[in-house]
Amino acid sequence: MAAQPQIQPIVEASYLEGGLISWLNTVDHKKVAMMYAASSLLFLALGGIEALLIRVQLFYPDNHFLSAELYNELFTMHGTTMIFLVVMPLLLGFFANFLIPLMIGARDVAFPRLNALSFWIFLFGGIFLHLGFFWRNGGFPNAGWFGYANLTERMYTPGTHIDFWDIGLIISGVATVMTAVNFLATIVSMRAPGMTFMRMPLFVWTMLVTVVLILLAFPALTVGLIFLFLDRFFGAHFYQAMAGATPILWQHLFWLFGHPEVYIMALPAFGIISEMLPTFARKPLFGYPMMVYSVILIAFLSYGVWGHHMFATGMGPVADSAFAITSMLIAIPTGIKIFSWIATVWGGSLRMTTAMYFALAFILEFTIGGLTGIMFASPPVDLQQTDSYIIVAHFHYVLFGGVAFAIFGAFYYWWPKMTGRMLDERLGKLEFWLTVIGFNGTFFPMHILGQWGMPRRIYTYAPEMGWTFLNQFETVCAFILGLAFLVLYINIIKSLINGERAAADPWDGRGLEWATTSPPPAYNFGNIPNVRGRDPFWITKYGRAGSRGVAMYAAGQIPKPVPEEPLTEPIHMPAPSFFPIVIAAGLFVMGLGWIVLWYRLVALGLLAMFLGIVGMAFEYPTFGQETPETEEASRSAGADVRKVGLWSFIGSECLFFATLISTYVVYKARNPGPPGAEILGIPLTSFSTFVLLMSSVLMVLALNAIQRDDRVWNRIWLIGCALFGMIFLGVEIHEFYSFWQQGMAYQTNLFSQCFYTLVGTHGTHVAIGVIWIWVLIVASFTGKLDKSRALSVEMAGLYWHFVDIVWVIIFTLVYLMQQVKGA
Amino acid sequence: MSDDTYLEEPRPHISNSVYLIVGGFLIVLTAMEITVSYIHALRPVMVPILVVLAIAKFALIAMFFMHLRYEKWVVNTMFVFPLTIALGVFIAMMGLFLYLSRHLVGPGFGIHYF
Repeated sequence: MAAQPQIQPIVEASYLEGGLISWLNTVDHKKVAMMYAASSLLFLALGGIEALLIRVQLFYPDNHFLSAELYNELFTMHGTTMIFLVVMPLLLGFFANFLIPLMIGARDVAFPRLNALSFWIFLFGGIFLHLGFFWRNGGFPNAGWFGYANLTERMYTPGTHIDFWDIGLIISGVATVMTAVNFLATIVSMRAPGMTFMRMPLFVWTMLVTVVLILLAFPALTVGLIFLFLDRFFGAHFYQAMAGATPILWQHLFWLFGHPEVYIMALPAFGIISEMLPTFARKPLFGYPMMVYSVILIAFLSYGVWGHHMFATGMGPVADSAFAITSMLIAIPTGIKIFSWIATVWGGSLRMTTAMYFALAFILEFTIGGLTGIMFASPPVDLQQTDSYIIVAHFHYVLFGGVAFAIFGAFYYWWPKMTGRMLDERLGKLEFWLTVIGFNGTFFPMHILGQWGMPRRIYTYAPEMGWTFLNQFETVCAFILGLAFLVLYINIIKSLINGERAAADPWDGRGLEWATTSPPPAYNFGNIPNVRGRDPFWITKYGRAGSRGVAMYAAGQIPKPVPEEPLTEPIHMPAPSFFPIVIAAGLFVMGLGWIVLWYRLVALGLLAMFLGIVGMAFEYPTFGQETPETEEASRSAGADVRKVGLWSFIGSECLFFATLISTYVVYKARNPGPPGAEILGIPLTSFSTFVLLMSSVLMVLALNAIQRDDRVWNRIWLIGCALFGMIFLGVEIHEFYSFWQQGMAYQTNLFSQCFYTLVGTHGTHVAIGVIWIWVLIVASFTGKLDKSRALSVEMAGLYWHFVDIVWVIIFTLVYLMQQVKGA
Repeated sequence: MSDDTYLEEPRPHISNSVYLIVGGFLIVLTAMEITVSYIHALRPVMVPILVVLAIAKFALIAMFFMHLRYEKWVVNTMFVFPLTIALGVFIAMMGLFLYLSRHLVGPGFGIHYF
């Protein structure tokens, strides 16, 4: 038999070379993940030091180690850092980024450059959040991680504290939503052959549900932060009671994001535990389908529970009861998960590695946090305990005892795969016991202090309160916990320098990530694996799922690594790019421009972003060209990966506009006096509505034309669509100018600010759509738009039609319904 | 083999005439909306009529122009699920601010459309 010619993978040079440049321009999901890890571990150190300073301050009663002002800044930055810059980036940016493509048998994420862009925006956002400390007359943000209005208004918190927090979180939020779009498209469209939804590893399932949560929860926070920005920079008053508004609006927007956010952090941790327990118990995950359904149910219910953070605001008995019931319901799917984990371990052949230690401890610690959560779901109990230290104990048991324990375990479990080197197990066990002792010693007494009445966020207390001993005990234990972190850092550095070499499958793993080398090659798999069931690698090794592997292992029949098959086709990987870092830097500069109120800097940042986006669009592959990996990607779910990405973004936009429209309707009813909606004119807006609707018709005609390769008519319809869009914008500008002339400025009253914000935001979307269509027109005139690139027109069309249907709602709700009152 | 792993099938081609007919419906529905908003006699039922007409326009654009009528269940879910949550958020916010918490903000406060 003639020898087969050796096929070599085609990989860009920067994947193979080290050096700083290869990190700055990388789009490889594994390198991006490692950069997330490095950044998050740095932020973790900062957040940890902040926590220790807080504990030192509380060591003595009447202590003045820190000023009250600095104390406020430290607890604000501790919460903000740990949630937005440590837990989320570690779970999503590091573990999910590295593991999702490996677990589903893909070569990379759906949009590698978007992935790099997400990282750089996250990093610049994190730096931005910390910049205030070095600012003249500034300081760290100081209104808590929840930033309750109206404390955050400029008249109550002057200076740049809140400005850095507000803009920094908007920037970080952009990165998070981009990551969510990317992962959703990856999981839906890039699974290996045979990897059906019900065969996906549970970690991938939890990530799928988590990114849906992000897409539907973050818009509420973004809208809330934009309102705060408008209040602080443009004199609006979205949260000022004296203008007829209500600060409670912020609480609704924030917790509408904030409670799903708890599950955005907890669900990936559930996924991590669900991967580790079966490996170290050598049993399949118990009740896989119920685990999947319970994850979905938890996510769904999490949208209906935000009010339990607001019982003390007095929402009324009906609302309180509704939120109490939904909050208690969440205990059911969570209980299913806990019992399934216990059943997975029960009767298993346990290997007590450090990762297993953390996984088992997670079950206990998280359950304690969950049980106190059920207490707070009861409004009468919550009213007694809210804003006391028992709340601090509760959420640290959930987020540290739950999420951080899972993260620690995940480090020991997947680090060998990621780096090709083991972490030291002895140091790992030492870290585990320091963590268990330090964590419980720090946070368990807080339950007692809370019951004794110690409030949260106080910077000191009187000696006669009787809180001194427990506070001192907590502080000592907090330093033990700090020592645990130090051990982890030492272990990581030791492993990187001279850690023991890791085999491809060091734990006798079950998922596809163990089917490739440690660390994996740039292209992950020589040949995309075929999946024959859940736990696909286990099946490859042992023949089938179930307990057969345990018996074989006990009999010393340890399977040999599965040999890599020779490559059957060349592998193309996406080229590196510098544009992500340019765009992220532009966003950073723009934010800085707002802080110093130097609008040329804002314009410069905007220009850098625009040029970066255009450069990225035309950089690689040539405009609109299909890439091999996206063709591959279209295998699963029957939907193109780019279309799935755009649809997920549109889904997120639904929530964004729902929040804006809700605010408009609520505040229109509270508008203290004229001018109000009676100023709106129907005839002119009716004309612009017809124009926008017809532009949608032209867009679908343009799509049909390009699909039959009729470039001339495609060009004509696209130009028509762009011109109609511009007419719509022209009418809107005219309308705004005319209202301004009639005395309705942006800051005039609640109605004016809501109207201009809602309609102006829609207009901005139209403007982006117009620019997108003009880019297509330019591409068409330069011969780059033909039948093979019809998807580019379809994508622009989807966005354009979505903007159109939003206007259908705005036109009816804002303009026509005004006639009901006026009639 | 499960039904969620297969090669993408091309969507059926939609002719220009279908798009033009849908466009015609959109014009007619918008004209009806505007007309209804000016007829004083319809004031008691104006809100439900306007809502139904807006939903009809919304559905036509989503189903035909955005091709949801022809798309896979995955894509439909990706739009319908967020839309349902968005609607739920809108209803909850209306309930919380305009009805359930009315007593907290004094008399005279409530939805003013009706």
